[in-house]
Amino acid sequence: MKRRTLISSATAAGAAVAAGLYRFTDLLVKHYPPTPYDDVLVVLTDRERAAKLGALVSDAPAPQALAAKLRVAIKPGLTAAAKADAASGRLTEVGGWVVPESLALLSALAAKV
Amino acid sequence: MTVFLDARTLPDDTVLAPDLAIIGGGAAGISLALALASTKLNILLLESGGVNFDPQNQKMYAGSRSGLSYIALDSGRLRFLGGSTNHWGGWCRPLDEIDFEKRDWVAHSGWPFPRKALDAYYPRAQALVEAGPWFYDKAGAHITAQGAPLGLGEGGVYTSWFQFSKTRDSELPTYFGHRYEGELKKTPRLTPLLNANVTGIRLTPDGTRVDRLDAATLTGKRFVVKPHVTVLACGGMENARLLLASRDVMKNGVGNQNDLVGRFFADNPIPRDVATLVSFAGPLASYYGNNLSLANGPILRATFSPNHAFRRTAHVASSLSTVEQPVELDDTGKAAVITTAIALGVDASRASAYSLGCGMELLPDPERRLTLTDEKDALGLPRLKLNMRMAEEDFTLYHQTLRELGRQLLASGAGMLKINRREDWSKNMDWGNHHLGTTRMHDDPKQGVVNSDGQVHGVSNLYVAGSSVFPTYGASNPTLNLIALTLRLADHLKKVVA
Repeated sequence: MKRRTLISSATAAGAAVAAGLYRFTDLLVKHYPPTPYDDVLVVLTDRERAAKLGALVSDAPAPQALAAKLRVAIKPGLTAAAKADAASGRLTEVGGWVVPESLALLSALAAKV
Repeated sequence: MTVFLDARTLPDDTVLAPDLAIIGGGAAGISLALALASTKLNILLLESGGVNFDPQNQKMYAGSRSGLSYIALDSGRLRFLGGSTNHWGGWCRPLDEIDFEKRDWVAHSGWPFPRKALDAYYPRAQALVEAGPWFYDKAGAHITAQGAPLGLGEGGVYTSWFQFSKTRDSELPTYFGHRYEGELKKTPRLTPLLNANVTGIRLTPDGTRVDRLDAATLTGKRFVVKPHVTVLACGGMENARLLLASRDVMKNGVGNQNDLVGRFFADNPIPRDVATLVSFAGPLASYYGNNLSLANGPILRATFSPNHAFRRTAHVASSLSTVEQPVELDDTGKAAVITTAIALGVDASRASAYSLGCGMELLPDPERRLTLTDEKDALGLPRLKLNMRMAEEDFTLYHQTLRELGRQLLASGAGMLKINRREDWSKNMDWGNHHLGTTRMHDDPKQGVVNSDGQVHGVSNLYVAGSSVFPTYGASNPTLNLIALTLRLADHLKKVVA
């Protein structure tokens, strides 16, 4: 086998392994089953942790309504939204934890899907 | 004089006739006696106990309780020279200016004068409690070497400061009896009389002046004191008891023509573990959870307080939230911290968590009160019953302050807060043993037992000293404040008596 072919084959094999690791395992990035709200949930780095918090949100609306609300709330980005919530006192107590309202809603959505 | 006079050794039928009788040898009584030491007044300081604890004397304090769980009436105070300073923790902090104000949103609030009326007396009070130079809320400028305070940013809660009576290494706080024993003994014209229990304040037939004080010892000796002026300084419970029990001329008790004596009792509730505070950046500076002794300076401890602006807008009461100890977060707590920190774009890899405790202010409540019972003590004085209670609003207002602290932590990116369940606060509730409000001060006799000089309304030669005259209470520990108020009374007495 020519050297060039060997390198190409090795690179292709490496890319395939990396793609497999990325897509089919949680080794590099966590993967979740698709939901109708992935455009919103994508801002959560760790959806499982958020869901743990979100499970404590009482009286959360249905996922569809939550997602609709969140699409507006986090339009400027989650960090900006969370900071704006804190600055203006839009807070929710989740299991006693005082958190920005947008984050509480997002966590509640993560818990519901 | 090199020894104290003991009432048990007085000859039978003794009648003492001082210019001024001070009933009670605690922080107020001793401070008043020392403040008047330079005058020509003949002063008799009547202390019901001796120089040390005696269980028989202590039993005189026993009483009953109803309502909310509260400390036994003979446990939270001490009946011997020095009074309750014999078991205090030395925590000092001046009341805030707003504590003195009449606030439309707090029924029965307001002192008859602003805090600046006490400002001239605080330095001497600070010296008496031996708390070092006056730093308090300027302490931040002196602790730069110990790390910066938690960055709370703009908002309603700020880092404020306690100072301590000299609790350094093995030294205890200033126990007034032991500390000032020498001064009391060597002051000319001052006679400290131990084991002397006043059992009645007897008025002239028209009820406008104190004619005499009936006094007794537990050994059966009875004697009489006929002072020109009397100052009642035996604590927030006993001041009310003695007034209520003296019913020979005024059938409802001295100064109780408007049924106010004993009402408005208050203490500072100290719920433990009210919240969990997380600092994203790692451990808090040590002065939050521990006392910080500055070299040759004061002993400090940081606390979180609502500022004046927040108290005015949110209508919350005073409170002092203290860091208690580090805590481990459970899985939900870790999830909350990590999720929130990532959302805020903050690194929380070194996050540290702490439990918070608090000293709260109660709102004035006329039904939280002391009354007399039919049960009598060894000298025939009716015992007290305390009806203790807390309003839902007391908790709700403090919750608002905690929520604001939580908001500021998030807004500044410094951390976050978990407010624990209300029922858990009550489960771990302690009390400050600060007996306040039972002879409240107001210039209108229908709203107060004493006027702004501390004089009992309608009785021209009877005054009350101590925290029983506080009409609203604040969250600051009362000792420093009641001493400042007592020193103000001393100046008044110098003018009207000396």
